[in-house]
Amino acid sequence: MKRLIKVTIFFIILIILFHYTSQILLGVNSSIVQFYDESSNSLDIIYIGASNAYKHFNTLLAYEKYGYTTGMLSSPTQPFPATKYLIKEAEKNQKPKLYIIDIARCVLDFHNTDLDLARATTDTMKFSKNRIDTINKILSYSDVNKREYINYYFNFFLYHNNWKNISEDNYKKNINLYKGYFISEDTVKTEIQEPLEWKKECTSLRKENREVLIDLINYIKEKNINVLFVVPRRFFIETENEMLNDAISIIEENQMKVINFNEVEELDINLENDFCDGYHLNTYGSTKYTLYFAKYLKENYDLPDHSNDPSYSSWNDEYERFKEYYKFLTGRDFNELLEN
Amino acid sequence: MSLTSLTFLEFCILALIIYFIVPKKIRWIVLLASSVTFLFWNNLSVYTVIQAIIVLLSAYIFGILIDKYHDTRKSKVFCVLGILIIIAQLIYLKYTNLFLVTANHIFNLFNININFGMVTRNSLLGISYYSLIMISYLIDVYRGTCKPQKNILKCALFMSYFPILTSGPFVRYENMEKDLYEGHKLKYDSLCKGLVRILWGVFKILVISQRCGYFVDTVYGDLGTYNGCFTIVAVILYTIQLYTNFSGSIDIIMGISEIIGINLPENFKAPFFSKTITEFWRNWHITLGSWLRDYIFYPLQKSNFIQKLNKKCKNIFGKKFGKKIPLYLSMFIMWTLIGIWHGGAYTFIIASGILQFIYIVLEDLLGPASEKINKKIGINTEAFSYKLYQALRTFLLFSFAMIFFRATSIGNGIQIIKSIFVYNPWVLTDNTTLFTAGLDLYDFRVLIISIIVLFIVDGLSRSGSVREKLFKQNIVFRWTIIYMLIFAILIFGCYGVGYDPAAFIYRQF
Repeated sequence: MKRLIKVTIFFIILIILFHYTSQILLGVNSSIVQFYDESSNSLDIIYIGASNAYKHFNTLLAYEKYGYTTGMLSSPTQPFPATKYLIKEAEKNQKPKLYIIDIARCVLDFHNTDLDLARATTDTMKFSKNRIDTINKILSYSDVNKREYINYYFNFFLYHNNWKNISEDNYKKNINLYKGYFISEDTVKTEIQEPLEWKKECTSLRKENREVLIDLINYIKEKNINVLFVVPRRFFIETENEMLNDAISIIEENQMKVINFNEVEELDINLENDFCDGYHLNTYGSTKYTLYFAKYLKENYDLPDHSNDPSYSSWNDEYERFKEYYKFLTGRDFNELLEN
Repeated sequence: MSLTSLTFLEFCILALIIYFIVPKKIRWIVLLASSVTFLFWNNLSVYTVIQAIIVLLSAYIFGILIDKYHDTRKSKVFCVLGILIIIAQLIYLKYTNLFLVTANHIFNLFNININFGMVTRNSLLGISYYSLIMISYLIDVYRGTCKPQKNILKCALFMSYFPILTSGPFVRYENMEKDLYEGHKLKYDSLCKGLVRILWGVFKILVISQRCGYFVDTVYGDLGTYNGCFTIVAVILYTIQLYTNFSGSIDIIMGISEIIGINLPENFKAPFFSKTITEFWRNWHITLGSWLRDYIFYPLQKSNFIQKLNKKCKNIFGKKFGKKIPLYLSMFIMWTLIGIWHGGAYTFIIASGILQFIYIVLEDLLGPASEKINKKIGINTEAFSYKLYQALRTFLLFSFAMIFFRATSIGNGIQIIKSIFVYNPWVLTDNTTLFTAGLDLYDFRVLIISIIVLFIVDGLSRSGSVREKLFKQNIVFRWTIIYMLIFAILIFGCYGVGYDPAAFIYRQF
């Protein structure tokens, strides 16, 4: 018995040290890491998607305006098949009133997923069976040998080489993320030409994409959770646009709501001023988008106002930190941007 | 299957779990099944199965016959026959090219226009190990040191016991008989100590050996760019690479065996602390040395030919020098065989055979004169500084020989030696150039610290097992050391994405 206790303590310490060292060595920065820092059942909305989520929706601005909290389960080029598993991850300690799911990437060929970038999603998820399932799902579309899956299960196999580059930043979490929101530059760098027109034509989704989407819809129904699907306002190539129309019809056929922001006329976002690269909004665009969408959410969903609740003070603190960083980055005051 | 690969880890865990689950009586069968699986891993064919069966049947059948006709002339005939079959196969599979190269050289020398092409033979993993182990088994049965194994499956287990297939150590049947077939209980102490030894072995391979390899491969791969001080550093690092790779593998093997409950003989005892090459070889690949001593050198010394030569030489050269000639001849044969055993190429014969022989003969001849000089000029040979000088001298002599061990040909070895004499000492002092040859500054720092740790541990091991000392310490200190070892491997180890599992240098033998 004494030995059993000793061995157990040894391995507990080992796991703690391993976890802490992994965190330091992990070179990937994503909103998912920050998501885990939120207290249980403290999030009213959870927003899932790739860069169009964390670069478009300013969670702090939504909180500042309406007092509800939004968590981001979002990472660069986040593969769409990970969505169901991210909902499962969220359900572990959050009971949000609404999930927002960005479907921009549900039309991409899953076989062409950039696996190095996809690691931003899986590597930042906490180690669990769900994480393994996520990895298995993403890799099932790749030609990676099953024997090599272990390199994705254990971050250490890749990131242990980061020991040469450890700096102060490695000990701090997500210094450039503000409650999941990432500030893009204000400068407009795009070769894509106006107008951003949405075509009505429809092309069927690939078989696998359809399967993943339907599987997600079935999971949502089974769990009886409240979901709002969104298509972000941005440039899409023609086939993606047409396949998104198919995805929208599949969702609507299942009596679920989709907002295609490319067809929302009141949203005054244009390529000339509001994008940083044609695919992502800059701070002007994201502020316009957030102000519009946050108001829509407040009006259409029963979302609480925590602005006077001291247990949510971290949101106020982060908003101040965000404004300071915005000023540092652009030389302008964020309030001025809001006023304009 | 590399000893540091995930496959090997999974294989061992599975083998150990099954071993300790099944009834004690049949545990040796689990070891046999594991060993056969390991032996034919990725190399299962009719051809390789026949190779293994030839050695097994030769040892098994002739072992029984030797015992049956014990003390008769027949037993000697059976012993020689069994050995010849095993050696013939070993030569055919491993040394055909050595003979072909030699023949080509001879034909070339006499301007005969015949040139044999090289051949490729698919030999089983560890053939050099299990062939010699089974030869010693036959000799031991012949000498009456042990009784032959009547159960062919048990005989097969002795031949193929999986932990020792890749790198030894050489074991004797009389020492293994009891441990191998007895079903062992899993002991907590053995498990802990075995795991620590495995960790230490993995540290040596993944943190030190692999890292040295990057530098050595870069320098030896481009001697035009990397020469002078680069080559000197590469020569030194190659010796450390070889040692950490080989002794690290032995640590992993010993650790696994310790967990099972089977004691294997030590193969290394801090060789770089040796003051002479003679002492070095008593501490390096110990079981190969003792195998050759017991089965080649002593029988040679006792042979009629050497005895007669001894007498003749004493008559011609006097008692003192006369007895040295047959001794050196026996040593020459033994060292040539050590060289040949290491590989079917002249580079191995020079590196681990002839040069070692020359060093030892020179030590023997010059030793007395050197002692006299030291006395005359008043050098304190007991001082630490003198011992350090001796250890360094031994290390450098061995490192020099290992140039040929690493070289692709004798010509390449000479090219490496020539490249040492390029004058570029700034490589070591300008703070940048040295770090362009496969290892950057950070890697060098890790390497130097790891080598210091290695030498400290080796130094401590001279006065007894370091693990025993560690396990006598208080829990906090003990666990801290173990955690440090684990995380040194996890963080600084050369593994994972971008790395291949450490290739074992000695497995080719």
